[in-house]
Amino acid sequence: MIQLNQVNFVYHNARSDVGVHHINLHIPKGQVVLLCGSSGCGKTTLSRMINGLIPNFYEGTLSGEITVCGRDTKNSELYELTPFVGSVFQNPKSQFYTVQTDSEIVFACENIGMEKAQIYQRFEDIVDKLNLTPLLGKSLFALSGGQKQKIACASVATLFPQILVMDEPSSNLDIAAIHELAGIIKQWKDAGCTIVIAEHRLYWLMDIVDRVIYVKNGRIDQDISIQEFLAIPADTLASMGLRARTISFDKLSALPAKNTEMIDFKDFSFAYDKEKNLDILSLSIPCGSVVAVIGKNGAGKSTFGRCMCGLEKKARGTMTFCGRNLSWKARINTCYLVMQDVNHQLFTESVLDEILLSMEKSHDEAHAKKEKALQILASLNLDHYQDVHPMSLSGGQKQRVSVACALASNKQILVYDEPTSGLDYARMIDVAEAIKNMQAKGKTQFIITHDPELIKQCCDYLVLIEDGRIIASGWLQSALVDRMNDFFMA
Amino acid sequence: MISDIYDTTAKAKQLYLDPRTKIFLCLTVSSVMLAPSDSPMIDAIKLLFAILPLVFLIVLKKYKMALYYLGMYVFSSLVPKLLIPYLPNIVNLLFTGMIALFTQILPGMMMGYFLIVSTTVSEFVAAMDRMHVTKKISMPFSVLFRFFPTIIEEYGHVRDAMMMREVGSIRHPMKMLEYRMVPFLTSIVSIGNDLAASALTRGLNAPIKRTNVCPIGFTWRDGIAFFATICCLIVYIIYR
Repeated sequence: MIQLNQVNFVYHNARSDVGVHHINLHIPKGQVVLLCGSSGCGKTTLSRMINGLIPNFYEGTLSGEITVCGRDTKNSELYELTPFVGSVFQNPKSQFYTVQTDSEIVFACENIGMEKAQIYQRFEDIVDKLNLTPLLGKSLFALSGGQKQKIACASVATLFPQILVMDEPSSNLDIAAIHELAGIIKQWKDAGCTIVIAEHRLYWLMDIVDRVIYVKNGRIDQDISIQEFLAIPADTLASMGLRARTISFDKLSALPAKNTEMIDFKDFSFAYDKEKNLDILSLSIPCGSVVAVIGKNGAGKSTFGRCMCGLEKKARGTMTFCGRNLSWKARINTCYLVMQDVNHQLFTESVLDEILLSMEKSHDEAHAKKEKALQILASLNLDHYQDVHPMSLSGGQKQRVSVACALASNKQILVYDEPTSGLDYARMIDVAEAIKNMQAKGKTQFIITHDPELIKQCCDYLVLIEDGRIIASGWLQSALVDRMNDFFMA
Repeated sequence: MISDIYDTTAKAKQLYLDPRTKIFLCLTVSSVMLAPSDSPMIDAIKLLFAILPLVFLIVLKKYKMALYYLGMYVFSSLVPKLLIPYLPNIVNLLFTGMIALFTQILPGMMMGYFLIVSTTVSEFVAAMDRMHVTKKISMPFSVLFRFFPTIIEEYGHVRDAMMMREVGSIRHPMKMLEYRMVPFLTSIVSIGNDLAASALTRGLNAPIKRTNVCPIGFTWRDGIAFFATICCLIVYIIYR
């Protein structure tokens, strides 16, 4: 079905080591293959070779032979591969072309000029199979990430492709959406499709894939069956830079030293949707803790974060920090949101300038400011990068720069929105280390996340939100750990 | 199964009109409004064209916006006339004149807005196909329909980010522009890139005749719209 012979590829305008080398790979019909490895190892590049984006969209130097469904991809146009290969990508918000769900589902069929009657038939079939009726007739901009990803799957599924290529399809999804995605992939597998998935999160794929290919530095390092992969000890897995195969949480070994200072929310409410609103009657968080904020997509987690940071002026109720009542303006001065898309938050031309920008308001002398900035950078292992352009850093490094800015402007409460979506094991650990580092500096941190591994690494307090209400909160001890296990296993 | 793709006629959502009619209306209104007026007949036509967006807003049930539009139009057409005699020339040139100019631009802008909100990407592509416009021209324009909401979304994110970092005060306008535009453009470019990859793997550029399931086609309503607009145009040309 898929055959790669002695393939080498290097992207144009890239460092010489970015790309893949000496790839020999044969994937038979009906096999489900997982491509794994650390960020930048070349697994995305491999997936792009199979769906023809390399060399037809991403330019570079390609040698060797790639045959997909009996076609040489080098000499085929992308639209010639469309009926055979379906692709689902990482970012739900940038992979729909029309604005509405119905027309998006039939978009590919229309493009290849399928008969109208057949399009209607396929449409009904797919809507039925993937349970899409509740989503019909909606604007794609109003859907959650998981719903968008479902529509993306539907849009390629209408062509009944024999091969499906997925590039980190789960990285922006919550746990429920991942389960649904897993269901869709199982359906395709049962229908005899050949599926290639490049992915960091592994736990949801363990009962789906047949074969695991571990890519390292642009080369296939291991090509093993799922049974062999499951036999690899957990610590070896971590040293390979891979995420865990199962989710489980441990109780806190000891309660943190009792902190009498609290952050209190009273009657904290905000209407963020026509039907939904955040409504927190009373919530107390000990200062200095690392709070995991969990809940389903659309439960109000991000809204909670935005209200806390003063981004929503119309939020009602009170927020008291160490006995001080914070108005929305004071919240902006006290809290800092590390945004999910951290690119939006970086404005200057070098990492050092970025930190200095956050200190503009302080009255220190210029050299004192610079010294303090360098200290902050050193404490986050960023001192080597002080002259580098922030946009050229990796995702995890950008996040650290953003956190460094929060430190520089002396914010006391940090809120992270999905800090580890799409990060590999090593980078997730980096983020967890940075969070622990902040905890040592006495900051209170809220982590809005769907990533059980991150919670396991660094959180000690839990807030569970459902339909805008807090349904559980407290230190991560026995009862709450069970609760959290239930949440992630369901 | 109930879905828009089974619709056979244009509904209120589409202003009951074919996309081609809407494009024609949009072009006519914006060009006639910009032309200089020197006779009462032309003024009357301009007034008609200015009322048209108001009618459309009511069809779309956007009453609040209709009120805004009415208010803005009345303000920008009356206030300068009343004020100009009493103000120094330089102020008239810089401000009052600008407001007067706004009267001529506003209806055209509104028509553009209708074209975008009441036409889906598929309808636009279908209309272009019917007019035998090549994909090389119709595709870049069709992306626009999807990009307006994206731009609004991304712009909001950048604004939040600036608030969070407490940067970009109005006191340094150049800095503010830079902080706004740089992250904004970076993310727009990256979204555009991903979007192109995803659309191309789904056969966007196939040199095949595209099937269009969405309902487009002229009805009596389009006939009336064309007839009325062409009448206005003829009157305009005679009295020019």
